[in-house]
This record gives sequence, structure tokens and C-alpha cells, in this order.
Amino acid sequence: MIFLKYRVLKLELNKDRDVERIHGNGVNTLDIEPVERRYMLSGGSDGVIALYDLENFSRNVHYTCKAICSVGRNHPDVHKYSVETVQWYPHDTGMFTSSSFDKTLKIWDTNTLQPADVFHFEGTVYSHHMSPVATKHCLIAVGTKGPKVQLCDLKSGSCSHILQGHRQEILAVSWSPRYEYILATASADSKVKLWDIRRASGCLITLDQHNGEKSKASSEAANTAHNGRVNGLCFTRDGLHLLTTGTDDRMRLWNSSNGENTLVNYGKVCNESRKGLKFTISHGCSPEFVFVPYGSTIAVYTVYSGELITMLRGHYNTVDCCVFQPNFQELYSGSRDCNILAWVPALREPLPDEDDEVVSHSQKNPAFQDAWSSGDEEG
Amino acid sequence: MSRKRPRLVPETFGAKRRRGPGWSGEEPPGVESGSVLRALRELGELFPRRLFQDALPPVALKSQVYSLVPDRTAADRQLRELREQGKIRVIQLGFDSDAQGIVFTEDFRTKALESCRGQPFEGTVQRFLAVVLPACGDLSFQQDQMIQTFGFRDCEITQLVNAGVLTVRDAGSWWLSVPGAGRFVKYFVKGRQAVLGMVRKSKYRELSLSELLGRRAPLSVRLGLPYHVHDLIGGQLLDIVPTTSGTLLRLPET
Repeated sequence: MIFLKYRVLKLELNKDRDVERIHGNGVNTLDIEPVERRYMLSGGSDGVIALYDLENFSRNVHYTCKAICSVGRNHPDVHKYSVETVQWYPHDTGMFTSSSFDKTLKIWDTNTLQPADVFHFEGTVYSHHMSPVATKHCLIAVGTKGPKVQLCDLKSGSCSHILQGHRQEILAVSWSPRYEYILATASADSKVKLWDIRRASGCLITLDQHNGEKSKASSEAANTAHNGRVNGLCFTRDGLHLLTTGTDDRMRLWNSSNGENTLVNYGKVCNESRKGLKFTISHGCSPEFVFVPYGSTIAVYTVYSGELITMLRGHYNTVDCCVFQPNFQELYSGSRDCNILAWVPALREPLPDEDDEVVSHSQKNPAFQDAWSSGDEEG
Repeated sequence: MSRKRPRLVPETFGAKRRRGPGWSGEEPPGVESGSVLRALRELGELFPRRLFQDALPPVALKSQVYSLVPDRTAADRQLRELREQGKIRVIQLGFDSDAQGIVFTEDFRTKALESCRGQPFEGTVQRFLAVVLPACGDLSFQQDQMIQTFGFRDCEITQLVNAGVLTVRDAGSWWLSVPGAGRFVKYFVKGRQAVLGMVRKSKYRELSLSELLGRRAPLSVRLGLPYHVHDLIGGQLLDIVPTTSGTLLRLPET
């Protein structure tokens, strides 16, 4: 799919597409369901969760993605504080999960918008993730203010596992899209650990930014992935590489099978987030692009070569999250200015005053139609 | 073709990059092998030898290399190759964990020997340069490494620290250093702040490159304006904005 990258290169704000504004406070998290890629969830700092339909069946060019339903402030089971992460159930849209600063993780039934189950924790929940490829387990990994990663089982309704190893709060968790038992966790203690949850004895690998060369930095920085809090994690779509971002203003690309730092240099990736940063990778393009919230803009880099392609400007305040819609190569981003913006590939507009530039055949005068040349150019 | 050609696909996947090109006449060398070596030689020309009475080897900073070679990953790779070949040494300058200085090994060796000529620790320094430098290409050395592998005694290590070839990093480990680096770091930090201040005080916090280079440098800038501008651009402390009237340097918003 070589041409898809050209669509990603032309992402821009389009006056004909926007998303209905529901949140009264910043939008912290967005997720698009993996089955049809049609419905999007958003969670905000006001505790509200909204569900949007992204498909345009209205036959108009101008389309606002409406919120079909939402868990608003007057819902009896709404989260008390800010919602940090929402995720659709990976196998269908009947269920979604949300975790919040009110120390709970709630499992919602989409059709009735009632919570089917609630998990309580001792500390605020920064992030949770459910494996997109898991068939043998239904575990949700939860990162909280405590240093232990909790794995909650949907089938039994209780926390089945605890992963010990980090020393400070867990800011991001992510399952590998390749192996259903591999989990990556990022913590404020500057470390990123890869776990195999079937192993009882501890983590598989702790990522080391210097790849074992102890001479590169001061000795306290041994075995750290970043020189600051690590607050963002994203696997590439094939699961072979992992991207991490940290408050040392760096983004690093790691080989997820042996934990080696590939030393791709993206330059300074400004990161002042005190909680998790949710960034995303494109899907299906070659080369792949990563979209990282950078202040009030979104920076677009090529994943494997580290080149900065562009900065998408449009938000008025810090951008907190972004998601990529792979079917149409669109990017949706949520920010503290309460808006969700849709970045759509710019189309080549047919010019109305030049007859030979009009693309569609039906509008062409048959007298201008080319009926005799060998037809290797499009008409 | 029509004169109102619709916007073409940006040619980012060719040689043109959206990030600012190298500035003021120094076209960024394409990232062939050897472009970093050329950049290091150019930066060596910029280094003011007379200021230090020729006692320091020309030090280039890694951020300056990024300014001349915009593809950072390729620049890192070439620097690693040069380090493995033993042609350059990387020095930790101390004021910023990111700021690393690069010197050519030959220059480093000659200047270090010159600086310790006639001093009591000359023999130790010579032994260090002859034995340790070729064997170990790292930035720092551990105590057991120095004592067991290379056979230095504690008092000899102290002599090396006094000579300026080693700097204390932790209990039992030392950074490699250049004799006389302290003065360089002092001038560098002051000069960097002064150049940033020049941009900060200007209206709209931006200056065109030609205007900045044409201004008289404040007294605290001893290493020269181009030297500092390369470092600020490569270290992303200043943003480059290409405009129709030349490159513009702007302080980043955050």
C-alpha cells in the first residue's frame, strides 16, 4: 500500500469535517473500535464518556461526527473524577472499559450504558489496556499510582495477577499486538519493563537506553529507558518494535524481542505531561508514521528513520491523545481545549473553471471527450 | 498543464526535507558516509584556537554536528563508526547530560602530551594515552577496570585527574576529559546564554540568521557567534524557519 503514505502526508484540518463537542473539560483519551473502525469513544477530564459515529452516511460533504450517546454527569454511575483511558472491547462493540482517577475501572455494556462490573484499586488509575489479540485470556492490565501492575480478569471479576518490579507509579501499559502474553509497562521510575505474564518470576527484559554500555551516563541511570518519567508506550502494528516517550523530551524505538535500543534519533520531542501521553502509529502505510502530541501541536515522524515530517497545528491548548483511523487514513486528536479535531487527507479539488481538469466523466461535454488516443492518461 | 496546478504531493520522500536546510552557505551535505567527518573538520575550523593559546584541541559538540547533518539517526551512526575506528573521542562536558564534545584522537593526544610536558605526571599521562586510549573507546572508566586491566595505581589515577585527563564522575569512576576543558566549558555556557539572550530580547523573539551573525557579539561570547549558533540549532534550542528572505531563528514556544 505505497500510496497510503501520500494520504498521510497530506493530513490537514478540513472545514467539512468536525466532531461534535461534548466535553466541558479536556479530552484525555480516544479509542476507535477495531472491528468496523466506525465508532469512537472519548473520555474527558470531566468524567464524561461519549460515543461518536465516524461514518458519513448523510450524502453531504460537510459532516459532523455526532455523539450517539454518552455517560454524562447526570448518569448515576459516571466516574467521579477524570477519565484517563477508555478502550473498546477488542472483539466487538458490545462492551467497553474505562478507568479513571476515581480509582476504578468500569466495564460498560454499550447498549444499555450500564456498568457491568467495577474494579476498585488503591491508587488512581493512570492507564489500562486489554490485549487486542488475546484468545486464551481476558486480562486487563492496569497501571495505577502504586508500583505494582495489576491484571484484572474479566471472566472471574477479580484481580488475578500482580506484576512486581517497578518502584514508582505506572504511567502506561500496553499489550503486544503480536503475542497475547507479552505486556509492556512504563513507569515514573524511568524504566520500561517487558513481561511474559505466564512467568511468575519477574519481568523478561528491562529496557536500557544505552544497550548495556555502562559508560555512557551516570551510574544511577543504569538500565533506564529514559532520563525522566516514561509516560507513553506504543507498539508498532506488527509488534516487532516498541516506541516509548519520556519527560526527558526523547522518544526511543526499541526492538521488542531483545529489548535493544535501535538508536533512532527523533530529536527533541517535548513532553511535559504529568500523566500518560497517548500517541499512535499509522497502520498500513509504508513507511509507518508516528503521531505524537507535542505541546499544542501534533508532530509526525517516520518511525524507522526518525525524520520529522510535519507539525499539525490546530488545537488551542495541549494535545493529550490521538488515534489513527486506518480505513481512511484520518487522525483524530483530543486536547485540553475540549475539542476533538479530525485531520483528513487533503483531496485534490477539481477546478470548476477549467474544463479539461474536471475528473468525473459525466460532467464532460462529449465533444471534448478523447475517443481516439491510446488512452494511457486518465481523461 | 493548467496554470492553477493543484497542490502536489510534497516531495518529502526525496532529498528535500521540511525541516530547515543548513544555513548560510553551508549546504547540508547529503547523508553519505563521510559527511559527519567533513562536518567535524568544518567545525574544527570554527573553533578559536588562539583563545586558549593553542592548548586545547578543537572541540566540536554533538549538537553542532546535528546542525550540519540534519538526519540525526545517520549522524549518530556515523559518529559511532568513527568512534569504533578510533578516529574520534567523545568527551562528557558536564554541564548538560546531552552535551557531548567530540575531538579527533590525534589532536587530543598531541595536546594532552603538550600540556603535561615537564610536569611530574608526564610519564603516567603518556602511559595512559598509549595504553588505555586505544584499548577502551568509552566515555568513562571504572576503578576496577583501571586498576586490574590497565595496572594503574591509585596515586597514578590521582595524577591523571590532576593532569586534567580524567574527571571525577562518581565514587570509583571517571569521565575522560581534555586538559583545560574547564575554561572551555565556562566560556561555552556563558556564550550560549548570551546568544540565546540576543534572540530572546529581540522583538517577537526571533531574528534572521544574517542579522544575528552581523551583530557585534557581546563580550561574553568568546567562542564566536557561528560556533554557538550551530550548537543552538542542532540542540533544538532555537527553531529554524525558512523564509523567502533567508532563514529565521526563533525561540521555541514551549
